Amino acid sequence: MTPRKTALTPGSRAPKPRSGGTPDNPLAAELTRSLGPQKVLSNLSERRNYRYDAIQFGATPLAVVLPESTADVVTAVRAARAAGVPIVGRGAASGLSGGAVPMQTGLVISFTRMIRLEVFPERREARAQAGVVTLSVTEAARPYGLIYPPDPASFRTSTVGGNLGENAGGPLCFKYGVTGDYVRALEFVDADGEVHELTRDAYDLAGLLIGSEGTLGLITEATLRLTPPPKYTRTLLASFAEVGECAEAVSRAIATGAVPAKLEFMDAACVSAVEDYLALGLPRDAGAVLLVDTDGDDLDTVEEERALVEAACREAGGTVRRAATDAEAAALWQARRSVSPALGRIRPQRMNEDIVVPRSALPEVVREIRALGDASGLPVVQFGHIGDGNLHPNILYDPRRESPEAVHDLAHRIALVAIRHGGVLSGEHGIGTMKRPFMREAVDPVTLGALRDVKRALDPAGRLNPGKILPDEEGETHAHP
Amino acid sequence: MQHDIPVPALGPQGEVMAHAVDACVHCGFCLPACPTYALLGDEMDSPRGRIVLMKEVLEGTLPLADAAPHLDRCLGCQACVTACPSGVPYGELITSFRGWSEPQRERSPLDRAKRAGILKILPAPKVFSVAARVGQYAKPLAPLLPAALRAPLDLLPERVPAMQPQPPVTPARGKRRGRVAFLAGCAQQALTPNFNAATLRVLARNSIEVVLPEGQGCCGAAALHTGAREEALRLVRQNLTAFDPGEYDAILSNAAGCGAGLKEYPVVLHGLPDEGQAQAFAAKVQDISEYLAGLLRAGELEPFLPTPRPLTVAYHDACHLAHAQGVRAAPRELLRAIPGVTVVEVPEGNLCCGSAGTYNLEQPELANELGVRKARNILSTTPDLIASGNIGCHTQIGSHTRRQGSRVPVLHTVEVLDLAYRGEL
Ligand SMILES: Cc1cc2nc3c(=O)[nH]c(=O)nc-3n(C[C@H](O)[C@H](O)[C@H](O)COP(=O)(O)OP(=O)(O)OC[C@H]3O[C@@H](n4cnc5c(N)ncnc54)[C@H](O)[C@@H]3O)c2cc1C
Ligand code: SF4
Ligand code: SF4
Repeated sequence: MTPRKTALTPGSRAPKPRSGGTPDNPLAAELTRSLGPQKVLSNLSERRNYRYDAIQFGATPLAVVLPESTADVVTAVRAARAAGVPIVGRGAASGLSGGAVPMQTGLVISFTRMIRLEVFPERREARAQAGVVTLSVTEAARPYGLIYPPDPASFRTSTVGGNLGENAGGPLCFKYGVTGDYVRALEFVDADGEVHELTRDAYDLAGLLIGSEGTLGLITEATLRLTPPPKYTRTLLASFAEVGECAEAVSRAIATGAVPAKLEFMDAACVSAVEDYLALGLPRDAGAVLLVDTDGDDLDTVEEERALVEAACREAGGTVRRAATDAEAAALWQARRSVSPALGRIRPQRMNEDIVVPRSALPEVVREIRALGDASGLPVVQFGHIGDGNLHPNILYDPRRESPEAVHDLAHRIALVAIRHGGVLSGEHGIGTMKRPFMREAVDPVTLGALRDVKRALDPAGRLNPGKILPDEEGETHAHP
Repeated sequence: MQHDIPVPALGPQGEVMAHAVDACVHCGFCLPACPTYALLGDEMDSPRGRIVLMKEVLEGTLPLADAAPHLDRCLGCQACVTACPSGVPYGELITSFRGWSEPQRERSPLDRAKRAGILKILPAPKVFSVAARVGQYAKPLAPLLPAALRAPLDLLPERVPAMQPQPPVTPARGKRRGRVAFLAGCAQQALTPNFNAATLRVLARNSIEVVLPEGQGCCGAAALHTGAREEALRLVRQNLTAFDPGEYDAILSNAAGCGAGLKEYPVVLHGLPDEGQAQAFAAKVQDISEYLAGLLRAGELEPFLPTPRPLTVAYHDACHLAHAQGVRAAPRELLRAIPGVTVVEVPEGNLCCGSAGTYNLEQPELANELGVRKARNILSTTPDLIASGNIGCHTQIGSHTRRQGSRVPVLHTVEVLDLAYRGEL
């Protein structure tokens, strides 16, 4: 079968920037020798731009490699290994947990030039290199009547490699699943620079790599499953006097057997932030709103499911508005997607939590977090993929006015609420550096030991993305020098 | 983004810059919109990367010379502004930064001469016309010249038209319904005099009187965006004196770059005594398409004659219209109002064509790469006509579509409207 090539690769012949001057460290010099100056960044101005993601700034790397092939990745990993320095994989650096941020000086491998993408419509598959932008998979598949459902809000910019690294989700994941559910096969480079091909049989080693935040291996290519899009979609907005009622409506709706495509909520603070920003006519007096899509190929079922959700919302005390037109539905979803940017207008910084709790615990969890926020004096807002129990409580702050310790302390207490109710620390953004300090409370010592064993098996020297996910062992200050 | 920019030490422009840096949450949403990121795939040549570079130069932790190559590659297209969900005023940041940093730049004498030359020639229509004619004769020599000198020659049309001076007042046809001031623009007076002629005809036909205020000059955008702040201030003030906003319903421009420049006056004069005057002025500035679309929406636009056969028009969004001024709907509405015209969208429509003021002269390789890509994208829609609202795009697109063997005409939006009124489409 011949793959249909899609012309997404710019294949620019324009001279790529090359580092001026001579590399000032042996690693950069060695990489420049083996890969050529256009794939290696060694200037300070270039390297400085590879020390951050969407949440945090870290250490400036010694060198940055922009590989164009798996072979380039192998060369880079071997060079870093020989130099004894850590390696951090990086996609679009849109991560919200510090995953792509170097915690020590070392090598950053940035996948943004590995953007080969092929669609195999007959097999309903796409083969994507790590740097392919998430949205372009769907764009390339759509002419064949297919889509790639994982839809993080960042899908215009985030990469397949970064999505795999974080096991990214999105509004569609309640019904359609997260990134990991769409992976058929993976190619990755291990800490020694060996290339591996993984499928999902035998030991699901691919599953282990997915969501490992670049700490177990560097993903170079993935075979992704595509699906036909549903024929019909219906949208509704329900508003509630109080955020707990909104969560109750979700539990009730799911108990009726309805499987909406998307179940998203925003609390009052989000609603007013979005209204200030876009003035879309959302109910400002509501304590929380719920946004729901039902979809499918059979219109009757889609309408029936919408009716079930509507009834559940009313029973929980809400009022329901149906989107009459596609344009109205689009405006409602624009409101949801605009939450993050709208919040930036309240305070310049935010601590973005990403907890998941059992759906039965939702009403209590959102109420407890509301109360914690009110007591702290810091602006706390809540939104998220409530259908999955995946909540994003955000603490908004201004580092010049509010103490980072107080913010961190509140984030910790929010994490503990999740853990107390049988939840976990991360639904989709990863543990990274942000939630690493809470891991000891979230995972029992024996399990943590098992995680360390896995890490040791794949990365004995601790070279891959140190300082992420796993907390330092007792008595240890640095995982590895 | 947290920063340690010494704001007070940098003066009023320091506030503008620090505000933009503050607002950026380094989310990276702007990356896919950026043409240089699309071509080069690295962080330093992305909007987010450039914001960090500027922040660090301003903080004094990174030498300007290290950051400069990446900042110079920025087209100033402001596609990142459209894409940014947090409302970061990137355009104001880079413009202010260029003004602040230019005096500290180390440039070779040749580089300085070239820049000074551009700044002298571009804003002076008569000089430009002469230069263009000289250039036209130099065209056969092009293959012998280095890329930086060849690029401008490649862009010159086959024939440089004669100058067509415009009357100071064009009376409204019939009963006067409005009175506007018009900025005549610089290079386009020499290269494409029909843009202005068509604009005046279309306005007059709609019973609008058009005044070309005496003493008006270049909008100052070219000077501003190349960092020649003093020169820009002089031009801005000259126009503030020439145009009295109280006298007109609107101040119109038909060049996207100039229009954006005029709307930027309050930022240029931020913190200076004449800031208020600039605000009153900028509040009246409109692109010709905005103004005409206003008439259309009010049901006051004279109807167009239908085209004899169906016409597919590929509308190209000029960056300074779509991104800098946020004008996207108006030109499309106007073109669609011509019976028989279908407006088609261009793939990768948000990507700059590579013209961007003096970019062709400063970054010829990247400009060329973008021009090739834009022409290919436009031609993929198999249009009968290409319409756009900016002289820079017009020359760039025309030159690249011709090079790709196409003879599809490239017109200013207002030229299309003018032809439609005359039944000549
Ligand atoms: C405004 C905003 C909204 C967001 N919304 C969502 C959302 O709805 N859902 C969601 O899940 N996330 C969301 N995110 C978070 C982020 O976009 C995702 O985590 C995304 O998957 C990161 O992709 P990236 O390419 O930017 O990866 P990066 O941030 O560059 O990297 C993420 C992690 O993956 C690792 N990594 C990157 N490439 C590779 C590779 N090739 N091999 C191995 N490891 C690699 C990195 O080391 C790092 O640990 C949002 C972010 C922002 C800023
Ligand atoms: S999209 Fe806006 S906030 Fe995000 S990195 Fe770009 S400029 Fe900054
Ligand atoms: S103005 Fe254009 S070229 Fe410059 S950073 Fe923004 S998108 Fe990129």
